[in-house]
Amino acid sequence: MNPSPFAQPYPTRRTVLRAAVAAGATLPLLSACVTGGKDDKPASAAGAKSATNPLGVKEDAALEVVIFKGGYGDDYAKKAEGLYTQKYPKATIDHKGIQKVGEALQPRFVANTPPDVVDNTGAGRLDLAALVGAKQLSSLSELLDAPSFDDPAVKFKDTLLPGVVEDGTFDGAPLVLNFTYTAWGIWYSKPLFASKGWTYPKTWDEMIALCATIKAAGIAPWTYQGKYPEYMNDPLLSMAAKTGGADLIKAVDNLQPNAWKADGLKAAAEAFAELAAKGYIMTGSEALSHTEAQAAWCQGKAAFIPSGSWLEAEQKDVAPKGFDMVMGAVPARTGSDKFGAAAIQAASSESFIVPSKAKNIAGGLEYLRILFSKQSARSFAESAGTLPAIAGATDGLTLSSGLGSTRDAVNAAGKEAFTYRFRTWYAPLAKAVDDATGELINKRATPAEWADRIQKAADALAKDSSVKKYTR
Amino acid sequence: MKRVPIHLAMLAWGVVTALPLLWAIVSSFKTDNDILNDPWSLPTEPRWGNWSRAWSQANIGRYFFNSLIVVGGGLLLTMLLGSMVAYALARYEFRGNRLIYYVFVAAMFFPVFLALVPLFFVVEQLGLLGTYQGLILVYAAYAVPFTVFFLHAFFKTLPSEVAEAAFLDGCSHGTVFFRVMLPMARPGLVAVGIFNFLGLWNQYLLPLVLNPDPDRYVLAQGLAALSVSQGYRSDWSGLFAGLTIAMLPVLIAYVVFQRHIRAGMTAGAVK
Amino acid sequence: MKHGRLRFLIGALLPALVLHVVFVLSPYGQAFYLSLTDWTGVAGEAHFVGAGNYARLGGDSLFLDAVRNNAVMLICVPLVTIALGLFLASMLHLGGRSGRSSIRGAGAYQIVYFFPQLLSLVIVAVLWQFVYNPTNGLLNGALRAVGLDGLARSWLAEPKLALPAIMAVLVWSSVGFYMVLFSAAIDGIPKELFEAALLDGAGSWATFRRVTLPLVRDTVQVSFVYLGITALDGFAVVQIMTVGPGGPDGATEVIGLSLYRAAFFYGKFGYASAMGVTLFFATLTFAVLALRSGRKERLELS
Repeated sequence: MNPSPFAQPYPTRRTVLRAAVAAGATLPLLSACVTGGKDDKPASAAGAKSATNPLGVKEDAALEVVIFKGGYGDDYAKKAEGLYTQKYPKATIDHKGIQKVGEALQPRFVANTPPDVVDNTGAGRLDLAALVGAKQLSSLSELLDAPSFDDPAVKFKDTLLPGVVEDGTFDGAPLVLNFTYTAWGIWYSKPLFASKGWTYPKTWDEMIALCATIKAAGIAPWTYQGKYPEYMNDPLLSMAAKTGGADLIKAVDNLQPNAWKADGLKAAAEAFAELAAKGYIMTGSEALSHTEAQAAWCQGKAAFIPSGSWLEAEQKDVAPKGFDMVMGAVPARTGSDKFGAAAIQAASSESFIVPSKAKNIAGGLEYLRILFSKQSARSFAESAGTLPAIAGATDGLTLSSGLGSTRDAVNAAGKEAFTYRFRTWYAPLAKAVDDATGELINKRATPAEWADRIQKAADALAKDSSVKKYTR
Repeated sequence: MKRVPIHLAMLAWGVVTALPLLWAIVSSFKTDNDILNDPWSLPTEPRWGNWSRAWSQANIGRYFFNSLIVVGGGLLLTMLLGSMVAYALARYEFRGNRLIYYVFVAAMFFPVFLALVPLFFVVEQLGLLGTYQGLILVYAAYAVPFTVFFLHAFFKTLPSEVAEAAFLDGCSHGTVFFRVMLPMARPGLVAVGIFNFLGLWNQYLLPLVLNPDPDRYVLAQGLAALSVSQGYRSDWSGLFAGLTIAMLPVLIAYVVFQRHIRAGMTAGAVK
Repeated sequence: MKHGRLRFLIGALLPALVLHVVFVLSPYGQAFYLSLTDWTGVAGEAHFVGAGNYARLGGDSLFLDAVRNNAVMLICVPLVTIALGLFLASMLHLGGRSGRSSIRGAGAYQIVYFFPQLLSLVIVAVLWQFVYNPTNGLLNGALRAVGLDGLARSWLAEPKLALPAIMAVLVWSSVGFYMVLFSAAIDGIPKELFEAALLDGAGSWATFRRVTLPLVRDTVQVSFVYLGITALDGFAVVQIMTVGPGGPDGATEVIGLSLYRAAFFYGKFGYASAMGVTLFFATLTFAVLALRSGRKERLELS
């Protein structure tokens, strides 16, 4: 059961979106308050910089840490605080584990007395865009360029997984650091595949061949969370990204003309249309909610299901013993893909910030340097069952099968981890893509029609002067 | 027998109505596996664990409590304000009387959706977003027009002799209203009260928009969140138990007071 | 006395008026203004765009889907509900000897039929979502149990079936109430009229057509308006039950859902308000038409 009713222990597309919306909706009030405070900046505590103290922490300055206490708890943060006081024994740390981050901290931002580090997560979090707009966040560039806590020879930013810095960058300034990492792929039961002698396909041709075998064995090859067609978008768009590479992703996110008619997208749409045409998707999937489809998959009624890395935690009470789910990278569509076969779609979340009006900015940055250390990240992975956004943090650990496979996939992908931004930038376009994909895999739209209708929606959006545009 | 087809038709609709409800109640005693594999089976043994899980871990208990506070508060306020306005407009002649009446009554015919967006910001700017007080005030504001409409007609039909006698005895206007007229209007108050209670208890759109804090979810909101969101991990039996917990009190209260409730609600609709 | 009267009136009217103005009238008023702006929720950033939002509505295919679906619902839901309600109400009385007294078990039927009316549409929607589940739902389960496997469907996922499935839920939840309402109206018909019809040798159908229907006409008309307003909403049921929601591919989109999404997911508050205004005029037009057309017919009859 869900241990805490307040928190989603895993970020999902939908919950993130919903939280973002909730936060966005409260924007007017917040921005009024945030900008309403006085502008004079109180001096932040600082000490002398040195090789062991690269950020210039004042040793006896107090540090206040506010952590969102959701599904992951806050013990991991307390452990990092222990490491901090080990290094700076004279410092006292005020720790607060709370659920309503926004409610508790909004007045403090207005009064210019924010804490030194904030884990701004959960449904009641502060709106990041408003904080950024009101210049309430410290730049993290000094931290990014500082040596890492574990190895002075390696810069802090080089310990992060791909995309983490970009995820926290606003108009060129790094202001937010995400602590957890989510990867998307295709899931299956390892023991089931082993017992049947099936191997996870590396290419789409292999996938189609394997699906024929699976179907012959009396199991539906695929199911998906039909009520929310966006789940099927993830493998489809991943496949397209692998074929077309970073250029394809950029063209899509930047709303370029005919971006959706790129060969990579066309081929990916054809691939999934083929899956549907050959009857490789479990009958009835199209009407199932995520919980229903995932339960059917756990019961062995279907072999593959697309999902993000939260799936294992979500299915904890449903998956039978020894189900041992693992995630595989989306198979390559062509032999000449721009990304390697191991490339995956991934993104970071759980946002840490250091307020610009904090009393101990250096301490806040130092705390993040410690929190993102290997030791701290490992203990987080073990207790939370989620991948931290730190490269190699969980190497050598014995993880559950799902989490272990996610780690392996992330490691195998290396630098080739990618993410689309249009989903968060342009929600109406995301809706158009979801609808089109739903039609495609229910055989009511051809791949060409699929591309046409999404392109039309993208073009309309590009022309719409009332929508704020982003580029990457 | 001429009446057999009639009975069959009546029975058929009875089954169509009752079966899904019965099915939910039966399913609330089954295991997830039974529910998934055999929708028509009966529970092998009653699993009260589903109920306690729904009540505590899925927070149905909390949602229930929230609903009680918000609907109780909203109903009290609605009845108080609505009856005062209806009485003042029905029994006193003054300039602007008709205008005020129409200002209230016209709102009955406006779709709530029209007001939704500005209402959200009004409530937010008053600092009432996600609070009990905010929901209570909004509930009352949107229930008062119908209450006025209904009770206005009711107060008009009451005889005026008793009130006149009370005035001659030196009673104030307030005393006459609370001590004399309100008790006389009891049947009307009960009817419109029941109507309002069901309306507010089942309200979904207003809390969905104005009550974003999961701690303060009302029952309808909580159930919707349970069935739609990720948070509730594939616990069908718990969800059915939650549904049953939400349904049963209202259904039982109805069976006990059924004549009053039906009379009240249908009277409300035709008036 | 005069002074006390004024004070009493103020005390009785003012609190409710303040509440009404703040939470009801001002939002309605603001909605009309907002619909002419491009407001995205940031204070002070609303620009006047005239009829721009309305022009955009005309090119929003999803919104047009919503309008079409609401129109279909506006016709079908009231008609089917009223037909079923009238049928059941007259059955309840026809079974009796004189066309008035009730059949046996009428009380029990009235109790059971009324159940759905007491449940929140949310509960109804969650429940029916399970009824329609393609693999382990009640409906397909029933069809398979009686050997009609061929009729089992993905009720909510097929574009042609999804909207009828949603409308069936709305009908299911309201029939009982209107049946009770019509039943009360039939009870109000003077007994002599039925007896006279019986003496004339009229059958049940003729009695229904010549006595019952004309005399419950007003009730039916009011019911039509109420049901129409319900059908113009449909938000809760669609939002909870359908694919997407509002799908597959807009097949069950309703104006309320489009408005909710535009406002609270996309932050387009001005645009959403334009949808609200459109819905308002649709409701108004429908109510006026429904009430007036009846009056005209009645004049012609007399």
